[in-house]
Amino acid sequence: MSKPILSSYEKQRRTRNITVLSLLGFLIATVFVISMNTGFMRLSPLEVLQTIGGQGNHQQKLILFDFRLPRIVISLLVGAGFAVSGCILQSLSRNALAEPSTLGITAGAGFAVILFISFFPATTAAPIYVLPLLALLGAGLTAALIYILAFRREGLSQARLVLIGIAVAAGINAYQIVLALRLDPKNYQFVATWMAGKIWGGDWRFVLALLPWIVVLLPFAFYKARVLNVLNLGDQMSTGLGAPVERERLLLLAAAVALAGSCVAVSGGIGFVGLIAPQLARRLVGPRHQVLLPAAALTGGLLLLAADTIGRWIMQPAEVPAGVVVAVIGAPYFLYLLAKSRA
Amino acid sequence: MFALKRNKSGSTKLAMAGLAALMVILSACGDNNAGNAANSTAGSTTAPSAEATAAPSQGEAKTVTDAMGHQVSIPVNPQRVLASYLEDHLVTLGVKPVAQWSVPNGIQEYLSPELKEVPTISYDLPLEAVTSFAPDLIIVDSESAVQNGLYDQYNKIAPTYVLGDAVNKDWRKALTTIGDLLGKSAEAAQAIKDYDQKAAEAKEKLASVAGGQSAAALWLVQKNFYLVDETRASGEVLYKDLGLASPNLVTEIPADQRATWNPISLEKLSELKADHIFLVNSDKSDSSEILNSATWKSIPAVKAGHVYELSSNSTWLYSGATADSKTIDDILKFLVKQ
Repeated sequence: MSKPILSSYEKQRRTRNITVLSLLGFLIATVFVISMNTGFMRLSPLEVLQTIGGQGNHQQKLILFDFRLPRIVISLLVGAGFAVSGCILQSLSRNALAEPSTLGITAGAGFAVILFISFFPATTAAPIYVLPLLALLGAGLTAALIYILAFRREGLSQARLVLIGIAVAAGINAYQIVLALRLDPKNYQFVATWMAGKIWGGDWRFVLALLPWIVVLLPFAFYKARVLNVLNLGDQMSTGLGAPVERERLLLLAAAVALAGSCVAVSGGIGFVGLIAPQLARRLVGPRHQVLLPAAALTGGLLLLAADTIGRWIMQPAEVPAGVVVAVIGAPYFLYLLAKSRA
Repeated sequence: MFALKRNKSGSTKLAMAGLAALMVILSACGDNNAGNAANSTAGSTTAPSAEATAAPSQGEAKTVTDAMGHQVSIPVNPQRVLASYLEDHLVTLGVKPVAQWSVPNGIQEYLSPELKEVPTISYDLPLEAVTSFAPDLIIVDSESAVQNGLYDQYNKIAPTYVLGDAVNKDWRKALTTIGDLLGKSAEAAQAIKDYDQKAAEAKEKLASVAGGQSAAALWLVQKNFYLVDETRASGEVLYKDLGLASPNLVTEIPADQRATWNPISLEKLSELKADHIFLVNSDKSDSSEILNSATWKSIPAVKAGHVYELSSNSTWLYSGATADSKTIDDILKFLVKQ
């Protein structure tokens, strides 16, 4: 794929892509500002600006920099992580329904966390650093299981991958419920909100725990965009084009799983972002992964940030988990997409 | 290849623009709501910050170690205390908290005379809500309320002391600890003494009227009955403090499986051998069906007319010097007057 001469169509597409990406960036900035202003404490935009400028009082600084900002950053990172993970999985499986939660990866990560909570009482102070690692481990094991089950001598069968993923997810979810029922009420409540996808890690330490994964894996995915383009054509075609199909697929799968696992650890079971964000992005910029992946990352970040912001005020002073908001907004939109694609 | 094909750009753009517009509108509403909520519940979001800046100048701090081993430096004379679901102790000690515990459908009704003007805070203590009350000391009842790094967040707002489940399940210990924290040890000791004296007098009165008789406390909520544990809440008052006999069913539940209130079926209740039944009725109008059923009416105490109904906002579900003292009043009212 050497650099092609830009046709007028190419130029047009390029301008369009740049417009879309900057529009997404602009929307994120807008929601960011709104989110900084949203919460129990009423802070005027002016006060927010003053505080950012370093003039706020102790209370205002605490709320903006210690409570709201880390949560916003986490929402953006998690949204982007899930979206890119979903995008990779959709392309690898060539199935529009593939995403971390339909494939059981989210469930696997959650299962590991609940196992830990049920065996080690919440009074231990460790979980803040242990949970992300556990979630990652759970996600990895689940993905490995699905991969092994879906593997056939002639290579990985995409249809099997999705079907087995769904079956494994159902199984793990069942175990999760059994385990959760045995927890005492206080731990159960934590697990329940965790499973519903509440951005509970509203703390800079969670940002630090998540950031390395995102910083390494997102660029890696972007770097592999062309490989994804080729894999997307199907096994025979891509082998014909000289791609080491199985190895690349395994690498990308591992990247998607690590992304999803690390995100689940701080956000809980937020599904749907990984499904919808890539779909939306694909409709906006087309199927070329060089643009699709960044667009999906931005869309995912935007979606989750918006969902978390809405979740914070809609039932004040109670908070609705972002995962629930995403599902409430996402489900009708998804049905609309399905209805349209039939026509 | 993909089931969902790329669509014509026009409609997509429109949809995105619509979505964006919607979000902006929704968020704008949210801001207003937030403002209203803060105004109505807190009523004084700006005032506390002024006081808070004044408070530290008052004074010295002392260092204490809480149930989780945190070294907490707390003001010697805290002025703005937040101790959600520990309000019974604060009321006993004559301390008004900056905010009181609440759930979406209520507060601790029995404390409302003392805490009438105290604004409410959601039971899960949202960080921003806590900040808005500008407390100078936060007392948390249970380790599980501050798990996963939440402790550090609260501690940034104000010194945070975790009482811990082990202390909290015994109200005398909880009251003593809180008394020590607030510099009111003497008051706490006095309150316990007063309570014990009141309980002893009540026990004496009961011994003459209902000596050796048994009583059960039942809670009817959402058409299910719960039986109180003999060592907790009103169970502690009935059996331990006032010396009434516990009926057969209370002692039948294995000790390690008991909650404060234990679910019990109506069929099982028909075997209840108690002379008196105190019924905390949270179902009100919905309860007539169950309370008119043949099974309920076949219980000996019911047949004898020894059922005393208490409203859902009575103190029987709680424990603490204030709550238990009122529970004693209820028991005496029903049993001694006869």
